[in-house]
Amino acid sequence: MTNFDTSTSMESPLRHRVAHTNAANAGVVMKEDKYRGHLNLRGNPQDAAFTSAVEKVLGVALPMAPSSSVRNGDTVVYWLCPNEWLLIVANGTQGQVEADLRSAMDGQHIAVTDISSGQTLVNLSGTGLTELMQKSTVYDCHESNFPVGKVVQTTFAKTGTTMCKLEDGSYDLVIRRSFSDYFFLWLRDASDEYGLSVA
Amino acid sequence: MHHIYCPYCEEMREEEEYSYTGEAHIERPKDPAAISDEAWADYMFFRSNPRGIHHEMWYHAAGCRRYFNATRDTQSYKVHETYKMGEMPSITAETLAQAKGDAS
Ligand SMILES: [Zn+2]
Repeated sequence: MTNFDTSTSMESPLRHRVAHTNAANAGVVMKEDKYRGHLNLRGNPQDAAFTSAVEKVLGVALPMAPSSSVRNGDTVVYWLCPNEWLLIVANGTQGQVEADLRSAMDGQHIAVTDISSGQTLVNLSGTGLTELMQKSTVYDCHESNFPVGKVVQTTFAKTGTTMCKLEDGSYDLVIRRSFSDYFFLWLRDASDEYGLSVA
Repeated sequence: MHHIYCPYCEEMREEEEYSYTGEAHIERPKDPAAISDEAWADYMFFRSNPRGIHHEMWYHAAGCRRYFNATRDTQSYKVHETYKMGEMPSITAETLAQAKGDAS
């Protein structure tokens, strides 16, 4: 049996992608929010027992409006569809949050799935961001169509993404681990004319 | 650029996010063993192929990952309406013919 040290075995999907251009004067800044806990939650939004149990655990009510999100400290909740949400929680707490949700919703017809290892959170900001988004996604990112807090599942460079607009004008993108190499290579190429900094 | 309204996301989205998944409102026979081979084959394999109004299922693959229904004109590609699963269309070939008759 192979012994390996679990404390150092975690690897970010973007661990080996540090090359960047014109970093000193970069128009696009990428910052990966590594190792957050990602939980997929499904349940009946019409069932008060479900919604109140989730609110008790998360300390915040589930967002019910399409494409909306809520925040409570380190916890972020994205609306994905009428009976599905993505919970992004602090690194290492996902196991506890999952256990708390399961005990609070004991006996209910629900699903909680830990998908932390399958995806990662990336923040994009900078003066070249608007133009970068315009050539990367089919979604209209104008502020009139994409206000702060809105969550949109769409395509970014033809790969699936879930993106959220933050108060500082930057975007948080959830990307698949298996597409992270492709995502970064696209980003590096698409941001070449503005300069890319990997923070 | 062709935009289609998702009744679950409640907004227009680019066609690239969707995929077409076939004719809508096809009900699976409740007791397959009790029906004839012909009736089963009709359910399983045969689809209408109209020139004009067609009610069909679409899948918001890159978005909310829900199936919904659409009323589309196969000739012009115009999407007249989209509606949730379990709902019935408000626009049909008959209502459009009627509206055309009323206008003339
Ligand atoms: Zn949708």
